[in-house]
Amino acid sequence: MISPAKQSIPDVFDVRILRQDGPGEKSYWERHRVTHQPDMNVISVLQQIAARAETEEGKKVSPVAWDCNCLEEVCGACTMLVNGRTRQACSALVDNLLQEQPDGIELRPMSKFPVVRDLVVQRDRLFRALKKVKAWVSVDGYFDRGPGPQQSPADQQTAYPLSQCMSCGCCLEACPQYTKIEVTRREGESEADFKKREAAAFDRGFIGAHAISQAILFNIHPTGKMNAGERLDALTSEGGLQICGNAQNCVAVCPKSIPLTTSIARAGRATTLHSLKKFFDR
Amino acid sequence: MTDSQPSPSFLARHEFLIRRLHSLSGLIPVGAYMVVHLLTNASVLAGAATFQANVDRIHSLGPILPLVEWTFIFIPILFHAILGVAFIWGAVPNTSDYPYSSNIRYMLQRATGMIAFAFIAFHIWHLHKYGEPFGGGAFDPHHATSTAGTAIQSALWIQLAYAVGVLACVYHLANGIWTMGITWGVWTSSEAQRKASYACGGFGVLLAVVGLAALSGFRMVDVEEAAAVEDRLETHRKIAEGEVAWGEEESTEEGSETSGDSPDVSSP
Repeated sequence: MISPAKQSIPDVFDVRILRQDGPGEKSYWERHRVTHQPDMNVISVLQQIAARAETEEGKKVSPVAWDCNCLEEVCGACTMLVNGRTRQACSALVDNLLQEQPDGIELRPMSKFPVVRDLVVQRDRLFRALKKVKAWVSVDGYFDRGPGPQQSPADQQTAYPLSQCMSCGCCLEACPQYTKIEVTRREGESEADFKKREAAAFDRGFIGAHAISQAILFNIHPTGKMNAGERLDALTSEGGLQICGNAQNCVAVCPKSIPLTTSIARAGRATTLHSLKKFFDR
Repeated sequence: MTDSQPSPSFLARHEFLIRRLHSLSGLIPVGAYMVVHLLTNASVLAGAATFQANVDRIHSLGPILPLVEWTFIFIPILFHAILGVAFIWGAVPNTSDYPYSSNIRYMLQRATGMIAFAFIAFHIWHLHKYGEPFGGGAFDPHHATSTAGTAIQSALWIQLAYAVGVLACVYHLANGIWTMGITWGVWTSSEAQRKASYACGGFGVLLAVVGLAALSGFRMVDVEEAAAVEDRLETHRKIAEGEVAWGEEESTEEGSETSGDSPDVSSP
């Protein structure tokens, strides 16, 4: 590959990382030196930092912690703020980043989720929202009920893009209406009680674009449709669709280019009709 | 808060309905009222008599006018504005990190909403009871053009405040109609949303022209000439309503200078 700007890539570059030793602890900045290698991504940068475990000033530190899994932008685990923008570390290529911002790379954990350690965040709220809208097709039983209803090619075309969601959380990170909820364990509180209290707090917050879009996906599905009303009830409960403020950042940052704002508007229409129907059928 | 799950509050249980009513109230009646209000005010460009006739038509509601105003104007505006400010509290704007045009419109929608709330409060305060130091405080529905003209012409900063306030209200309505279309599911695809944004933008530009035309109308109006027209019209109205008998019109408490002038024969 010929890239005229390649000559400007330095042999060594700086990486600024916002670290945090544990949940609820104070965060602090740390600067690391990284030797440039061909075709680096942010994950390989973090691997080098972990192998060296030494700051720019030569201070020995614990290796920086991060989450990753698939390394091909389909699992969503390595989402973090790279140069202030939410994206996957695996698909953030160092040469491109240094061309945009030659003075180094800045890494921060996602700001809308509680930090576990360094760049690792706890995204339970994201998955709770998927449970809230029942983002699945219900198991109908352990016996053969014959073939299910067929899906039209038109519905398949609509559903496929929505099915590419990898629950990475970029849409939530960029959403001005999605605000951080962090519950801290009280003294003497059992783990179970704490988790229950945390779940209740998450349920009161905004569900987010990903869950709205998944509700639409499973309401299109011929079998999933059988629980359409329950999903719309979930979308109109506290913290539901109504919190959306139409900033439309979700669709702009989605790494899978999922038409999230179309899903939101479709959910708007469906909940409008569902609420009217419920009101007049009382 | 206790460890057991607290039962959700009234506001939490009806959050969807409340947010939808907030959305609806912005268009009906508040937005619809604003369109009528700006169009009526722009009729001042056709002269003091035309504007006075439009104001008289509104005031022909007589004693039920305050009821209509509170039901369809003041209460909906307060509902929309107070809830709107409360909703702004629950968000974290991030235009510096994500400077997308839709995100900037999101931020402007909230900024113009707060400007509009402050402006509407100032506008009522200025024209009615308390605005006397600024040429206002004396809006008289029977001398609509002259009293409103005096209020607007009193200072340059008043005119600037009105221009900013009117433009904020217009932006908030035009962009609000666009987001409302998504909220209620009128335009769903990104293509439909794009077309709707052009339509709402066009509506906003037209309404801004109407609003600024109304403002410049009050800025340019000759207050004394308008007052003379209004005095004549008021005399006719009083005669028509039987408040004053023929020939007694000189003694109206307004002290209008009808001396020597015989009442217009064309009056009813």
